[in-house]
Amino acid sequence: MTDNIALPAARPSVGTPGRLLSPVQQAGTGIFALLLVMIVFGPIVSPYAPAETVCAPFSPPSSSHLLGCNDAGQDLLTGILAGGRVSLAIGLATALATTVLATVYAVTAAYRGGVVDLVAMRVVDAVMALPFLPLIIVLGAFLGGSVFVQVTILCLVMWAQPVRELRAQTLNLRSADYVDASRAMRASAWRIVTRHIVPELAPLIVPQFVRVAHNAILIESSLSFLGLGDPIRKSWGTILFHANARTAFLTDSWLWWVMPPGLLIALSVVALALIGHGIGDRRGDGTAAATPRRGDGRPRRTDRAFETADVTVAYGNRRVADRVSLSIAQGETLGVVGESGSGKSTVAMAALRLLPPAGRIDGGSAWLGSTDLLGLPVSALAAVRGRRVALIPQSAMNALNPVQTVRTQIVEAVRLHRSLPRRRAYDRAAALLDLVRLSRDRLSAYPHELSGGMRQRVVIAIALANDPEVLIADEPTTGLDVLVQAEIMTLLRALSARLGLTVLFVTHDLPLIMGAAARLAIMQAGRVVEEGAPGDLATSPRHGHTRALFDSVPRLRAAKRWRRDAPSGPVLLDIDDVAVTFNRGFAARLRGASPVPAVRGVSLRLHAGEVVGLVGGSGSGKTTLARIALGLVAPDRGRVTVVGEPPRPGSVAHMVFQDPYQSMRPAMRVGDVVAEPLRIAGKDLDPVAEAVAAVRLPNDPGFLNRPVGSLSGGQRQRVAFARAIVTRPRLILADEPTSMLDQSLRAGLLGLMEDLRRDRGAAFLFITHDLPIARHFCDRIAVMQDGRIVEQGPADEIAFHPRHAYTTSLIAAAEAP
Amino acid sequence: MVWARVLSAYAAVLLVALTINFALPRIAPGDPLSYLLPEDVLAEMTPEAEARVLAEFGLDAPWPEQFWRYAVGVVRGDLGTSVRFGEPVWDVVLSRLPWTLLLMGWALAVSAVLGTVLGILAARFRGQKTDIITTVAVLFLGSAPVFWVAMLLITVFSARLGWLPSFGAAPLTAFPGSAAYYWGVAEHLVMPVTALAIAQTAGVWLTARWAMSVALGRDYVTFARAKGAPERRVFFVHAFRNACLPIYTNVMIGIGGLLGGALVVETVFSYPGIGSLILEGVQARDYNLLQGVFLVATLSVVLANLVADLSYPLLDPRARR
Repeated sequence: MTDNIALPAARPSVGTPGRLLSPVQQAGTGIFALLLVMIVFGPIVSPYAPAETVCAPFSPPSSSHLLGCNDAGQDLLTGILAGGRVSLAIGLATALATTVLATVYAVTAAYRGGVVDLVAMRVVDAVMALPFLPLIIVLGAFLGGSVFVQVTILCLVMWAQPVRELRAQTLNLRSADYVDASRAMRASAWRIVTRHIVPELAPLIVPQFVRVAHNAILIESSLSFLGLGDPIRKSWGTILFHANARTAFLTDSWLWWVMPPGLLIALSVVALALIGHGIGDRRGDGTAAATPRRGDGRPRRTDRAFETADVTVAYGNRRVADRVSLSIAQGETLGVVGESGSGKSTVAMAALRLLPPAGRIDGGSAWLGSTDLLGLPVSALAAVRGRRVALIPQSAMNALNPVQTVRTQIVEAVRLHRSLPRRRAYDRAAALLDLVRLSRDRLSAYPHELSGGMRQRVVIAIALANDPEVLIADEPTTGLDVLVQAEIMTLLRALSARLGLTVLFVTHDLPLIMGAAARLAIMQAGRVVEEGAPGDLATSPRHGHTRALFDSVPRLRAAKRWRRDAPSGPVLLDIDDVAVTFNRGFAARLRGASPVPAVRGVSLRLHAGEVVGLVGGSGSGKTTLARIALGLVAPDRGRVTVVGEPPRPGSVAHMVFQDPYQSMRPAMRVGDVVAEPLRIAGKDLDPVAEAVAAVRLPNDPGFLNRPVGSLSGGQRQRVAFARAIVTRPRLILADEPTSMLDQSLRAGLLGLMEDLRRDRGAAFLFITHDLPIARHFCDRIAVMQDGRIVEQGPADEIAFHPRHAYTTSLIAAAEAP
Repeated sequence: MVWARVLSAYAAVLLVALTINFALPRIAPGDPLSYLLPEDVLAEMTPEAEARVLAEFGLDAPWPEQFWRYAVGVVRGDLGTSVRFGEPVWDVVLSRLPWTLLLMGWALAVSAVLGTVLGILAARFRGQKTDIITTVAVLFLGSAPVFWVAMLLITVFSARLGWLPSFGAAPLTAFPGSAAYYWGVAEHLVMPVTALAIAQTAGVWLTARWAMSVALGRDYVTFARAKGAPERRVFFVHAFRNACLPIYTNVMIGIGGLLGGALVVETVFSYPGIGSLILEGVQARDYNLLQGVFLVATLSVVLANLVADLSYPLLDPRARR
């Protein structure tokens, strides 16, 4: 779990309130509106008709003819205003037709998938590879130049371009959890496309429309300029064609004949470009803020190896770290523990001066020896980073440069700070790989050729390259599989013992850090609330938040928290020797994808009222098994029955997804989300209120009308449960429902699940990677690895007397400290 | 396997182009003969003569057979005869193609370099005045019709200042191969390349600016800073090196559009490439010629894409196999 994932504002969503148009877009819209007004009302106001001979040919501008006249004695201004109608009408009509065509095509291809998608996209590729203008010219030469034909031709040539982007997005949306959720409620394809996919696609359709209009206006002008336009209906391009044919640009008349139409084309196109540019332009990424602290720091007080004193950081008006003081003795590991938004990572990154652009250091000092890192001038930072203080970042998977080899990246770290001959630097790189126990063969590998665990080892090697005085580890095991996490932690502990490292270890994972740190600092809402040795904090916490944190951690061997009577009900879910392999289809083979066996021969039974835990690492096939049980995936082999019948979406089972940020469309309102299963089934909406009350959310109209996007992670997951129980299903499949939530919220959610089980008689298939939670919450546990259930049995039996090696290693990982 | 897939994809594109060429005269309004012969010849023909011509061109055969014959002919390099020039279309096109390639090559190089440099500058000063001014300027120049820019260039640099020639590709007076000749060719290139590069730069610029902003926000850039890399090194070695991938793809994809721009620019400068050839074809209603130019244009773009596809792995190790 990354630090900011549970912050409501962290993910951009459609429902986010804000300014509708950026200043750039406002400018574009303004210019375009002005042009529209001109061409709509201009010809009405003008005393002349565009094709009327009213003056001497080639006459220069005068008070009665502001832009003079052309070779046929027609008033140029009137012609230009009328020509705008044709140019813009063609552009907008083309854009409309093309966008509609492309959207229908893209959604159909992506939603149907398989061979349909494959063929459809090959056609798009072929059309895209044809040279635009020559094709249009050939088509134009054969088919004529009327406005209707022009729009058709432009549409025929341009439809393929938007398809690619729209299809890619539709593919994302199709596999989005909220679409799966709808499908699990047995929503029709039409409902899913119109209610969930097209509304989410809209932010992409609009810029595509703008882009096509932009291109269409330009191409139409080129076409008319080449003499392929409608000779009767004058457009801006046709006017320039005539000007060119009379070589107006060699005489004085370029100023009133050539300039205005071209300028108007450019203006209308740039207006559209500005509108489109603003849409694609997201702020917030870019260069990190390295600006030194505002104001003075405090004088140094102690002789600790590393110390922060009153560090204060703000994002805009929001203070995220408030006078944080931490100190670490030489060779010590300090664990900084807190939930998302507690400011723990912010302090670490502020010390390195690597905050995101919006972050601002408002005060305090970070002492490294006698150097105040927060007061250093920007130019002195590079010499300190990587040499005296090194970072193991949060996102190990993406911390390596994808186009450089491991050797290059380690050697860079070494040679940035020491002038070492290349050969010696190579030797040093090899020695560093030995240190992190990675084979020297990997020196010439690129990051994408390494697993997550290996990449993290390379990152650690780079951090240790120059024997730094202090190592800052910012959630270094985030995103790794449970077992790999344990390996990396073992390595880090061994290294810090051997090399006597001084470590600032930032994490949200209390069990992970318990055994690794000499002292812990507990953070909440930007402040350090308590500090002390892990053992002392566990036994006698003084602050309420510390107590809550420790209480929320399930310890494997503690007394079982949820005990239930042995289930007496009938068999609810019966999975018998089920197997499924992905990428088996014809289209997948054409793509060159190799088949992936996801589930290979699994049998599992679940009784009414029972809670069964399905435990396994990432990629073990546990989620696929749940989707089979739900009827979303058809097994290649084996038999599944739910209450004696084959599973059908929307029948007796319902699913709660892992990520509450993706399982509901952020723009939808709470009430609509909960009501969706009832609407699909065509039932009365009365149970909505009851379901919302059952998950202990406020059941008032104000709350029901809020967009889901405005809720916190914990609230969202409760809404997801309300949606799951509203049709009173007998079986709920819960796919890691707590893993995206903060530790302190997890126990509450599990308590809620237990209430739902007791009060509504629901059975749970509880999918998790967390063996301790499964042991406490479930009656039985099935352990899954590589698509097989390697062992299953009563929860305590599995936890205390494992028979399979994989289970043993999971337990070892959970008990590592 | 990879090769087979790439090549079959490109074969498919050529097949589509062939099909369009084959189908157009047959589905377009009017008599297929009117697309083969000039109007004055057509007017004097007897019905028997018409039938003879139809048989001669194989237009009385069933259409699958016609398509087969057409395809085989194209593969053998037979694109028909140009009505306008009275020569085989293939020869006419080949004699003009080098000029177009010269023009496109220079415009491609100039726009790629200019767009990239301006783009990374804009990314460096993102959201500041420099960025906003370049944004508006580049977008405006990219939005101006390329032929209009060409006309204004002539107005200023030929008609007013008399610095540069506005017509043709080579001096008529100098002997081909002499230094004066090459100097003249260079002089004739300046304005067409400028007009074309102006139109092409905006796309490269947008991609460069976007790719650079994205790369600068990546975790590996933060990590490079944490390693102690100076800002200049972070910018060029880490961010720019990665931003090169989408920029390269964009430049290569832009070749199709560049070709279109070249066609239009050539007509303004009477530059003797295939662009002016197309215009002559349109004016003379020389359909064979138009189809031939379209086919050759498609072939060139497909070749450019092929080169791009095959060379991309040199830039991106993830695309290597």
